[in-house]
Amino acid sequence: MKLPFVSEVISETETEKVAKEFAHLLKPGDVIGLTGELGSGKTFFVKAACKTFGISNVSSPSFAIVNIYNGIEKINHFDFYRIKKAEELFDIGFDEYFDEHSITFVEWSEMFHQLMPAKYYQVNIVFCNNDKRKISISKNE
Amino acid sequence: MIKNVLGIETSCDETSVAIISDGVLKSNLVSSQDFHNKYGGVVPELSSRAHLQIMNPLVKSALKEAGLEFKNIDLICATAGPGLIGALLVGLTYAKGLALSLNKPFVPVNHIEGHIFSGFLMKDKPEFPYLCLVVSGGHTLLLIVKNDLEIIKLGSTIDDAAGEAFDKVAKMLGLGYPGGKAIQEYAENGDENSIVFPIAQLKTEYDYSFSGLKTAVLRFLQKEYYQNIESIPANELNNIAASFQKAVVDALIKNVKKAISNFEFKSISLVGGVAANQKLRDEFKKIAEINKLKLVIPDLQFCGDNAAMIAERGFRIYQSGNRFELNANAYPSLPQDVFQEYSHR
Repeated sequence: MKLPFVSEVISETETEKVAKEFAHLLKPGDVIGLTGELGSGKTFFVKAACKTFGISNVSSPSFAIVNIYNGIEKINHFDFYRIKKAEELFDIGFDEYFDEHSITFVEWSEMFHQLMPAKYYQVNIVFCNNDKRKISISKNE
Repeated sequence: MIKNVLGIETSCDETSVAIISDGVLKSNLVSSQDFHNKYGGVVPELSSRAHLQIMNPLVKSALKEAGLEFKNIDLICATAGPGLIGALLVGLTYAKGLALSLNKPFVPVNHIEGHIFSGFLMKDKPEFPYLCLVVSGGHTLLLIVKNDLEIIKLGSTIDDAAGEAFDKVAKMLGLGYPGGKAIQEYAENGDENSIVFPIAQLKTEYDYSFSGLKTAVLRFLQKEYYQNIESIPANELNNIAASFQKAVVDALIKNVKKAISNFEFKSISLVGGVAANQKLRDEFKKIAEINKLKLVIPDLQFCGDNAAMIAERGFRIYQSGNRFELNANAYPSLPQDVFQEYSHR
């Protein structure tokens, strides 16, 4: 996969294919911010990407704020949806999760984009209609 | 001889402390903003520091309510996971420190197991084996509880938890927080058959999925009201809430019925925050009556996160002969080997 990447997908199978291709670019230490409205398929994208790392128990971290999965790589799966203030994130040690040993996905990263690291991948999913989505992936540096 | 059990719960937003003496619940305090105002000032809702500020005052209040002193505590139980690491560590470390200083045994407790055994806080207790549905903001699990130490996981959610679906749909409709309570109130005046929202059909027999349902409500709002919630007539809002609630409850109940027809149970139990939902409670009552099963749904104070269930579960683990060192660590996710997996055909 070459970045920036833009593609229209028309099924979950196609989304899964894009997510898996993207996952092959990832290495420990990488951070990925996911943006897109409710129901656009952010969790689905993370779930599909994590299959590449042999992880099958991905579920939504909206309530828990962060889920951690151990597979071929260690994955932190954040969701900012329920966070009201940046200080809440500092208080739960958000920045301590970014390390060279794990890959970190952050859903709703735009809510606190100022807390994202200097370099990270940005995945944006736009809902077009029924099964059609536009997926854009770029690297913020 | 264990007489007084102290339970501590700090896995997520709530700080809770409970004391059970000779099997009787003497105190079950859950931190509130009032409590924070009194002791720590206003603090963010989601904060390890909030747990830290409130921990000791809450333990002292619980002891006072139970008419006990620190030296009377015989067993200390605290949630070790799953939950937010920073939050968990506050309660767990406090509990271990207390155990060390009082020279009393300590038991780390799995938060989900706390919910599973919360029915034992009721006068009328579950009888083994029982079918247990755990429904909360973060978890949706269907389990066979054979005894204190043998739990088989039949299914769980593959994406969003049931409680999360309630919260997100309530937010879409502008009904406020907590979502479960708001949806239920609006649903009372609505027609639950007015809109058909889909129930996910999964390949695995007992799993759940609520992400598609959440999206279906969103698409409905986009299609019918261009997502302008102000333009939705009041009665239609009631209808959407009622139809959505029906879809969630139907999905939950479907697998419960399937499990009852495939396995032998003595009782069924509905636990966790979403167990506060009246429609779900009513459906469980119906199923229990039809199948002549004993039904145990904990009181509301034991449905949300609370330390009474942690004290209860910790005591049961201790009574089963398990002993723990003080090196127990907090864990963020539900360990995959904690429940036996049911092998799907």
